[in-house]
Amino acid sequence: MITALFRFSIDSVRAMLRGSRAYYLWMAFLACWILLGATAYWHQLQVGLSATNMVDQIPWGAYIANFTYLVGMAAAAVMLVIPAYVYDDHDLHGVVVLGELLAVAVLVMCLMFVMVDVGRPDRLWHMMPVIGRFNWPVSMLSWDVIVLNGYLALNAGITSYLLFTKYRGQRPERKKYVPFVFIAIGWAISIHTVTAFLYSGMGARPHWNAAILAPRFLAGAFAAGPALMIIALSVIRDKMGFPVKPAALNRLRQIIAVTMLINLFFFFSEIFTELYSFKHHAASMRYMLFGLQGHTKLVPYIWSAVALNVFAAITFMTPRLYKHQKVLYAACGAAVLGVWVEKGMGLVIPGFVPSPLGEIVDYTPSFTEFCVSAAVWATGAFIYTLLLKAAVPIELGKLRLAGAPTLSPEDYHQGHGHAHEGSEDHSHGSHETPSPSPEAAE
Amino acid sequence: MRRAMVIDTRRCVGCEACVVACKTENRVPEGSYRDWVTQESRGEFPNLELLIRSQRCNHCSNAPCVTNCPAGASFYRGDGTVQVDRDLCTGCRACIESCPYDARYVNPEGFVDKCTLCVHRADKGLPTACQEVCPTGAIVTGDLDDPTSLVSLRLKRGNASVIAAEAGTKPNVYYVR
Repeated sequence: MITALFRFSIDSVRAMLRGSRAYYLWMAFLACWILLGATAYWHQLQVGLSATNMVDQIPWGAYIANFTYLVGMAAAAVMLVIPAYVYDDHDLHGVVVLGELLAVAVLVMCLMFVMVDVGRPDRLWHMMPVIGRFNWPVSMLSWDVIVLNGYLALNAGITSYLLFTKYRGQRPERKKYVPFVFIAIGWAISIHTVTAFLYSGMGARPHWNAAILAPRFLAGAFAAGPALMIIALSVIRDKMGFPVKPAALNRLRQIIAVTMLINLFFFFSEIFTELYSFKHHAASMRYMLFGLQGHTKLVPYIWSAVALNVFAAITFMTPRLYKHQKVLYAACGAAVLGVWVEKGMGLVIPGFVPSPLGEIVDYTPSFTEFCVSAAVWATGAFIYTLLLKAAVPIELGKLRLAGAPTLSPEDYHQGHGHAHEGSEDHSHGSHETPSPSPEAAE
Repeated sequence: MRRAMVIDTRRCVGCEACVVACKTENRVPEGSYRDWVTQESRGEFPNLELLIRSQRCNHCSNAPCVTNCPAGASFYRGDGTVQVDRDLCTGCRACIESCPYDARYVNPEGFVDKCTLCVHRADKGLPTACQEVCPTGAIVTGDLDDPTSLVSLRLKRGNASVIAAEAGTKPNVYYVR
């Protein structure tokens, strides 16, 4: 077991290091961004947060906006997990590990965005229980620390277990990981709910202080996340030769068609509630949609986001549009970008405008913030590519422990499906070489 | 012991001496303020009334900044004031977001700061810097548990109000007029 684990690590790293010319170019491209961002972050460490354009009136900016969006992307992995494990969707079962790995990479990005946003990262240990004063359960931020790290551990654990058993040529034992999958489903909802509560719990910021915020966060995440998955899975299929069934992509498309509509509906409900009554708490909403006292910096962004989301919603529902691959990808990109603007800068910044003292301060990220943010995104892409380089050959059965029995991908996927999980299946669930199932025999 | 501040807005002339005194006393960095003066006009022309207020951290008994701080850096001192332990502050700025009074700022040295109600002076029996320089005696601080203190006497006159009472923060800075 220990030897196998050691070989697993060695072989995975070896798989990550080998690749085509395009692979090296892609990784070098990402590494350039990471280096640029690292330099910018070094500068920020030297001069503090004054390297950013955040001010006392706008204490959270691009970093937390990206963080908020990415928590949703991580949570959106359940849009693959729920159909696969709860509704026994076999088409999605084949790609569910790739979705969970995306969640791992995205969570690393989330934690990095929090790290770069903190003014004194050297003091983060004050938040650790026992040695510091962890203000749990009162502070929502302390909840966020727990749920994000917990979700990272759950996803990393589940994917490692699945890939490791496959690497050894075994079938994963359901009782060893399915309970964790179900915990992870609830946990995924909770990470984005906690992040929403972080905002909606603040009575001093009427723009966020709304009960719709957590549902709206989830709806947006469950639209943008699967959209990113469609793009990622198409790239993995085309560039890495991983068989992604068209039915799997179609299921994701159906999910977005629903969630994007719900997202737009929630957004509209919020706009209506704020603007129809026209109380002075609607000032933030007016700033965002129409500008306030000549400050119109955010207006073009939010309307482009609305346009992108509407375009995505229409495309995902109209067969004549989404059957064209290029239009489908464009709609996926629109959903990813639209929700990014709407939930990132479109949510965080108007919360501060006007400030409780009535000041209106415009905010644009500084060059340092741009470089650091881009670097965190590049790091996420870097990590996801590395994880895929090891996971895809294992999933395809190309990367195996020496002497391990070979399972075809169909065997494997059938192994962690429900539908064919009869009493007969249980009896040999943990065998080294499972007998072929009816599905595999077909 | 329940420290409080009571400001008589009828006495305030808006000279901003309190702002200058605080900046000097507490070495508040450039661009940031622990207290400030706001003006509010009421009524309709020509019957206008000008309300001038010296504002600062309200030292809430139910302080959102203490609730939201993940590291326990913002805390109730037990004497009615809210303080920041600058060595514990990680600079996450959740307290700034949660404050309904915009009372907090980031000190360039890497922590969030605000009005302390001059506890370093009060512990020696001195008035706050703003109280000491106020030319009209509009600002008084003291112990609300002591019925003979100036703050208790001012509050007894009635007419006291707090800023943004609807925020539910139970401030310990009162305004009488």
